Amino acid sequence: MSGTHPAASYKSYWVTWGILLATTCVMLLAEVLSLPAAVVVGILLAAMLVKATLIGAQFMHLRFENAILIVTVAGTIAFFSAYLFILIAFDGLRILKMVQP
Amino acid sequence: MAHGQIAGLTEASVIEGVATPFAVSWQKLMMWLFIVVDALMFAGFLGSYGFVRLASPAWPDRGEVFFLPLIAVMTFVLISSSATMACAVAAARQSDRRLLVRFLWLTVLGGLCFLGMQAYEWTSLIREGATLWSNPWDVPLFTASFFLITGFHGTHVLSGVIILAITALRSASGVSTANGVEVAGLYWHFVDLVWVFIFTFFYLI
Repeated sequence: MSGTHPAASYKSYWVTWGILLATTCVMLLAEVLSLPAAVVVGILLAAMLVKATLIGAQFMHLRFENAILIVTVAGTIAFFSAYLFILIAFDGLRILKMVQP
Repeated sequence: MAHGQIAGLTEASVIEGVATPFAVSWQKLMMWLFIVVDALMFAGFLGSYGFVRLASPAWPDRGEVFFLPLIAVMTFVLISSSATMACAVAAARQSDRRLLVRFLWLTVLGGLCFLGMQAYEWTSLIREGATLWSNPWDVPLFTASFFLITGFHGTHVLSGVIILAITALRSASGVSTANGVEVAGLYWHFVDLVWVFIFTFFYLI
């Protein structure tokens, strides 16, 4: 049977669901508490990556797939997204310096 | 070794006689490739949103514009629908048709709830005077990027709801395969995955 892999149990999905909800609550809490901006952004980005990894690995079963598929999917998206954001960030800050008095 | 056999490859990794290193069915591979392309589209939209924000001297306070509890509930609903979809795939693999159909319809219900709340959010903003070209906060690009990004995501949710409803009907009549349910599930989980990034970048940061 093509593409078969060890089936995760219903319990593992609901455990993942619980972790995702808890992580979301952490994100909302970080937003509400009066923490330094850099700390809040750090918590939000870390939580975002945790959630994305859990959804990809557990729900989409990527952790059961061939390493080549994992690199093709996750690596491509991560590399080009990071490349795009980094390029855009520098340009955006440059324009901000130009428009600010 | 016989002619045509390739050492070390399973039957799953040979599609119509051509060896592939991915070791998945062609349907699944095509869905993964579609997900990569669509993810890069969303990355482009979010990247341009980041550019606009960085380059703007002023940006509206999201706490004043958005009702965060509503967004939190929307996130909860979408995560829960992703969990029910995963359970539907597990039920399909175990050939439990009754449970499969039940989880599929629960996922559809979650998607419809999400769309309803998104529509409510849009309506509230439009009533406050927000359009694609202007808004009461004097930063036109704010609502332009909001409607574009959430609208594009909402369209994905709507198409996912339609796909899953069709899958549920086909599963109820015994036509759908476990592989087909899994491929549909991949699309739905992708929609949830994108919301994780939109929720973080647009509503929180």
